[in-house]
Amino acid sequence: MVSKTEETQLNRLENQVDNGGGGAWEYLCLVRKLKVRRSEKVLKYGLSILNDPKKRSALGPEEWTLYEQVAIAAMDCQCLDVTKDCIKVLQKKFPESKRVGRLNGMLLEAKGSWAEAEKAYSSLLEDNSLDQVIHKRRVAMAKAQGNISEAIELLNKYLEIFMADHDAWRELAEIYVSLQMYKQAAFCYEELILSQPTVPLYHLAYADVLYTLGGLENLQIAKKYYASTIDLTGGKNTRALFGICLCTSAIAQVSKGRNKEDKESPELQSLAATALEKDYKQRAADKLSLLTSALRSLKI
Amino acid sequence: MAEDLVLDTAIRDWVLIPLSVVMVLIGILRYFVSKLMQSSQLPDPKIVKEGQVIVRARNLRAAANFIPPKSFRSRRVYFSNEENGLLFVPKGQAQNAQAQMFSDPNMAMDMMKKNLSMIIPQTLTFAWVNFFFSGFVAAKIPFPLTQRFRSMLQNGIDLSTVDVSYVSSRSWYFLNLFGLRGLFSLILGEENATDDTQRMMQMSGFGFDPSKSLGAEKDGLDIVQHEWALPKFEHRAEAVLKKLIK
Repeated sequence: MVSKTEETQLNRLENQVDNGGGGAWEYLCLVRKLKVRRSEKVLKYGLSILNDPKKRSALGPEEWTLYEQVAIAAMDCQCLDVTKDCIKVLQKKFPESKRVGRLNGMLLEAKGSWAEAEKAYSSLLEDNSLDQVIHKRRVAMAKAQGNISEAIELLNKYLEIFMADHDAWRELAEIYVSLQMYKQAAFCYEELILSQPTVPLYHLAYADVLYTLGGLENLQIAKKYYASTIDLTGGKNTRALFGICLCTSAIAQVSKGRNKEDKESPELQSLAATALEKDYKQRAADKLSLLTSALRSLKI
Repeated sequence: MAEDLVLDTAIRDWVLIPLSVVMVLIGILRYFVSKLMQSSQLPDPKIVKEGQVIVRARNLRAAANFIPPKSFRSRRVYFSNEENGLLFVPKGQAQNAQAQMFSDPNMAMDMMKKNLSMIIPQTLTFAWVNFFFSGFVAAKIPFPLTQRFRSMLQNGIDLSTVDVSYVSSRSWYFLNLFGLRGLFSLILGEENATDDTQRMMQMSGFGFDPSKSLGAEKDGLDIVQHEWALPKFEHRAEAVLKKLIK
């Protein structure tokens, strides 16, 4: 994940380059380091460097990394001719390379010839069955073809070996949520929280899934995770504030009649409501009335 | 016995400096040869998987207090249960890590190549030094030594009355052998194949023993007491919101 300072730095560089201030190479390096997906800009500025022979030779051995980066960006923007040219140059320089083989596979994927791409990837995997990127590309291909169950199967097999790869867990969680398999999604989010406990995004997503699952116990746990999200984000996350209000009223509804569980945090709901009102007053004052009526209906 | 021998400066010009220069050059040559001969070793899938299992188990131990108790318990059982827990290694397998290292042909070849690249230049240089540069006093060590060192340092010199501080060129060779490591790391960067002494130390205690670390992780996991931190967060969230509203 990209931290805030890195993001501001990236945006600053982008503005600088957009307004003709130079520094395109630093921008491209930063994009590559942070693995951000800004394909149009990468394509534009990368091509401008590559087409200028003076600038190209100034890069030295980094030139080939730039070719690879521009090829991938071109595929993302569907400029397949640019991709083909870049791959041709790379293939001439590195004839037996696995990285170039991977780029070829990605080009087949971009063109939509799934069977050939699958063949290319399997032959690459035969040489090195532990190549993480190729495994992930196969999952992406299955997902792009709409074959979600195969994507899940491939991803599970991948995670059996590489179980410390949190990006893969995140992808699996999102796929499960899209298929409404919430229990499995909850498991994946737990893995994510375990590996990175201070990222509020995972707490929030986990709380959402638990709230959707329903049931008194899950609602209570969800409330706690919304609270932890509020704590981790300093109260600025609107979704968590809404989550608290909804959870508390849902718990009240479910446990109507049974004796109320000892309120660990009785004021949390009212505090969250007040915080929401304040936030809306600042940012979207015209919707404040909608908010107050919705909150009033919750506090049954 | 304590007279000062005056050594010819020609010794310095024709023995000490050429010997050092030759050793530096041989070191650089070895570095490049080892780079050429380096076979890309395919990572063993089992070892990769074990490495990842250990990372995951470590994460579980570190952040155990962030997930609900039920999930933690089910994960702990998954990792350490007797039959097919990931971290559980039956006693018999634990010992054969070393045997495995030797029987795996690729690893054995790699080790042999590394050893050879270390032993052959050393032997050759040593023989060359002995052949050409023996039979005379090469240098004087600046501090006094006991008689015990005579056999080690004065090998070619057959006079028993010469002060032990006067050494033969063989000792200069050994001095260079161990001392040029620092120079090499300056010239060649950190990763160079001339770290003979380091490798010799590594050979005695075998490096990556996966089963032991798995066992260690399992013990660590068994010890962990789960104390769910989330209820605390509710109070903290209250405090945060109160501050925010003010």
